[in-house]
Amino acid sequence: MGGPGYELFDHTADLGIRVWAPSLPELVPPATEALYAAIGQLRTLDSAAVCDFDLAGDDPAVLLRDYLAEILLLFERERRRLTDLRVRQFTPQHLAVSGQARPVDLAASVLEREVKAVTYHQLAICRRADGYEATCILDI
Amino acid sequence: MAEGYTGPLEQIDPCRWRIPRSYKPGMRVDGIIYADQALIAAIRQDNAPEQVANVACLPGIVGYSLAMPDIHWGYGFCIGGVAATDPQQGGVISPGGVGYDINCGVRLVRTDLTGSDVQPRIKELVGALFEAIPCGVGRGGKIKFNRTELQRLMAEGSRFVVQQGFGWPSDLELTEAGGCIPQAKPELVSNQALERGADQCGTLGSGNHFIEVQVVEEIVDPVAAAAFGLALGQVTLMIHSGSRGLGYQVCEDAIRELRDVPSKYGIDLPDRQLVCAPVESKEGQRYLGAMQAAANFAWANRQILTHLTREVFARFFGRTAENLGMRLVYDVAHNIAKFEQYEVDGKLRTLCVHRKGATRAFPAGHREVPQPYRSVGQPVLVPGDMGRSSWVLVGQPAAMEQTFGSCCHGAGRLLSRGAAIRAAKGRSINQELLERGVVARARGRTGLAEEQPAAYKDVSQVTEAVHASGISRRVARMRPIGVIKG
Repeated sequence: MGGPGYELFDHTADLGIRVWAPSLPELVPPATEALYAAIGQLRTLDSAAVCDFDLAGDDPAVLLRDYLAEILLLFERERRRLTDLRVRQFTPQHLAVSGQARPVDLAASVLEREVKAVTYHQLAICRRADGYEATCILDI
Repeated sequence: MAEGYTGPLEQIDPCRWRIPRSYKPGMRVDGIIYADQALIAAIRQDNAPEQVANVACLPGIVGYSLAMPDIHWGYGFCIGGVAATDPQQGGVISPGGVGYDINCGVRLVRTDLTGSDVQPRIKELVGALFEAIPCGVGRGGKIKFNRTELQRLMAEGSRFVVQQGFGWPSDLELTEAGGCIPQAKPELVSNQALERGADQCGTLGSGNHFIEVQVVEEIVDPVAAAAFGLALGQVTLMIHSGSRGLGYQVCEDAIRELRDVPSKYGIDLPDRQLVCAPVESKEGQRYLGAMQAAANFAWANRQILTHLTREVFARFFGRTAENLGMRLVYDVAHNIAKFEQYEVDGKLRTLCVHRKGATRAFPAGHREVPQPYRSVGQPVLVPGDMGRSSWVLVGQPAAMEQTFGSCCHGAGRLLSRGAAIRAAKGRSINQELLERGVVARARGRTGLAEEQPAAYKDVSQVTEAVHASGISRRVARMRPIGVIKG
């Protein structure tokens, strides 16, 4: 496996993201990058606002999905991208992430797809010999 | 891509295939897929039939879990899926049976122009549309509504924006449900949804949404075509869009709110994207009220897009839209759940009909068919891909007997977006479309590749299957000559 990483994969009319990392917390940064990569090539401006996400539940896959849905909403409502991530905790019951919400420089960015939602379809986090793998489908 | 469906598909007749309820535990009814022999081979390639079987597990489902010939793999429900549930029998409402793009739909506008009036200037006309119609990823529009206005817009739908000057009063009669579900509850739409959609009413969006300039190339049913105001050689406009970010967020909010609800009501689901609540429960009623508000937003959106398109044509041809005969033929919703009455086992029952990528197709005489069309039936608008054709069909009595008044909604995807992009490598889709006589403009870098004609089934094959099955009849075929996409 090596370090954390992600790939986008085909799903008929939509798009899947697959993410892998040695630990649960380390899944979060590549998952974040995968969502933004599905949207396009996002460049940001310097100004930033601190942004915290604290999510509770009983299923880590759903927690990761909820976090991705939150940062999608941040992009859709405010055209901001989360950078400088710090994953404070990721357990099956709690996901806490802090970061800098930076305005997207729309003139310098390429927006390729409108991601409508992060779905629950094929949503999973699986243990592998060398860490974890998460998958989910984005509605395009 | 999925590995493909390997479960049972029993042929009932040339256009129908059954997934027996014995296929998997929990199925309450059979699944039925409408497709001919050629289409079913493609349908087996992905897992959409499995989703038809999953939907058959929903509590209170009546008759069959249905799929139209444009079926393809979705999330929860397949695209092209139809399911009716009976609220009096514990029937559920499922946001996954409507989709994120609530009331995504299509409308068709006729004109008095002919292909020869437009074809020589199509490049300039498409350019004018592209400049005037907000389209593309996350594009906001120039038309802004304040919060109070948005609440009224979600309560009143098309009527509100027509009163603001965006269209003609006659448009309302020619829109499914008059462009408004009066039971909508805008107060149940979250602030996040309002903020996400605030400046998007009157915008096309991206993905497979489009505005297309077409020429009527074939008339199959002259009587219905005349009733719809369609004639050979005439220019028409097709608009495909939905409820934009507001609708996406309403669905997101609902699924999040409902995800623990099935266990509360003892509902066992094979796929969590099928989360649902009994229609009569407070959770079900909350989703319904918000979903109906988003549906009204979508009708208002297509109404404003129609107005903007009429303005472009009026400026471009130096004549008023009225003088150009730009009358709305019809507007159909293809992602929605509605309450409709059907005779089941000899009794009239009010059912909650989910249509996820399926079009209502009411026959002649139905009271919800607009008066001008009541003698022929409701127009069923079936867009194809941007290189081949689109169809107008008309609803038939068999749809009431077999498919809860439903028909196909499009061609149906054949290639994934990634496969389409790979297939487009080294080619110019724009040039290929030009060679077919189609001028296309798109904002996104990959939009034309992802939406290229080869990414879709042949819509003529799809409409042939529903025509042959008797649930709708072909009326007219239109060829695209210009298209704008997000």
